[in-house]
Amino acid sequence: MDVGEATRLNALVVAVGCAQDRVAFQALFDHFAPRVKGYLMRLGAGNAVAEDLAQEAMLTLWRKAALFDPGKASASTWIFTIARNLRIDAIRKERRPELDPNEPALLPEIERGADETMDWAQAEDRLHAALAELPREQAEIIALSFLAEKPHSLIAAELGLPLGTVKSRIRLAMARLRQALGDQL
Amino acid sequence: MSISHHPGDELLLSYASGAASEAVALIVAAHTTFCAACRATVAHAEAAGGSLLRDVAPVSMSSTAYESILSRLDEPAREVVKAAHLQSDVPAPLQPYIGTDYDALPWRHVAGGISHLPIRTKGGMKVRLIRAEPGSGVYTHTHRGEEWTLVLTGSYTDKTGHYATGDLQSTTPEVVHRPTADAGPVCINLAVTDAPLVFRGLMPKLVAKFHGF
Repeated sequence: MDVGEATRLNALVVAVGCAQDRVAFQALFDHFAPRVKGYLMRLGAGNAVAEDLAQEAMLTLWRKAALFDPGKASASTWIFTIARNLRIDAIRKERRPELDPNEPALLPEIERGADETMDWAQAEDRLHAALAELPREQAEIIALSFLAEKPHSLIAAELGLPLGTVKSRIRLAMARLRQALGDQL
Repeated sequence: MSISHHPGDELLLSYASGAASEAVALIVAAHTTFCAACRATVAHAEAAGGSLLRDVAPVSMSSTAYESILSRLDEPAREVVKAAHLQSDVPAPLQPYIGTDYDALPWRHVAGGISHLPIRTKGGMKVRLIRAEPGSGVYTHTHRGEEWTLVLTGSYTDKTGHYATGDLQSTTPEVVHRPTADAGPVCINLAVTDAPLVFRGLMPKLVAKFHGF
């Protein structure tokens, strides 16, 4: 993906949200549907289930595009959260407790963190580069956290590592990501 | 409000990735309603998820997938989005489980100034609310597994420190403690354990057995 691709994808979601732009939607489908399907299959879904859920994710994108806020997440991150939640609902049949995924403005008493208004499309490019540069043992834990649906105690056991080592690798990796995102916190 | 005790990065990461069980997701989500710093960390971890989605090997959709979606674009959405009740002091993520009023809950008295209320979630962890009148304490206990406690109202103290509204205490099996509610408002906590607590002494053990701790 070229630099600036994240910005282009964000603009496409905004076009769907503001104008129900079907050309933009098709471009988003072509880009995201196969990736969402790939993500779901990495997590163990069969082809048919992954196909159905990827279609649901794209429908959710269509319906909720007006709620997409480029100041809070990149398109890729937003679609990741949609796919993650659909999967928890459909495959694990669990509820997903969330702060308030649809209307953050409903919670005015919460002060906004400094980076909650940043340009996430640009940040995503920096983050992507930072993830690629993580030491291998840290990158491995981050990837397993997303693609192996296991508690970290189990990931540690399978890697033959003490849980403390896994936790400290996560802390180091998260510190790098924070740095890449220019977080002041 | 200043929060001094936060979930570890590994808990925030497993919440963001979706790997966390429903119970852990509930306590982390409830904590983030109090804590801008942890909301930011969750957003960072979700951004890592978005970034990984770039690199996941794509799998082709069926040849009819796009047509099939097009035919459904004009369907009305089934999903009804419920707005959180803002005047409530129950954190929004907890409202679907217990409603919006702590006083209206069917609290079960345990002993002394302590009552509790189990919350049903999937995934095998124990989740409950614990309500402690000022000055009352939970029996001294240790854990077989990890325990997480989020202070929803009031505050409590144990030998490891002071925990006020919004703080999340993580306790490992080595810790033996007797949390006691501070003077002031009633202390209500959300507690998640991944294994039963181990109480010291016969009476607490019988009480615990009776209440299903």
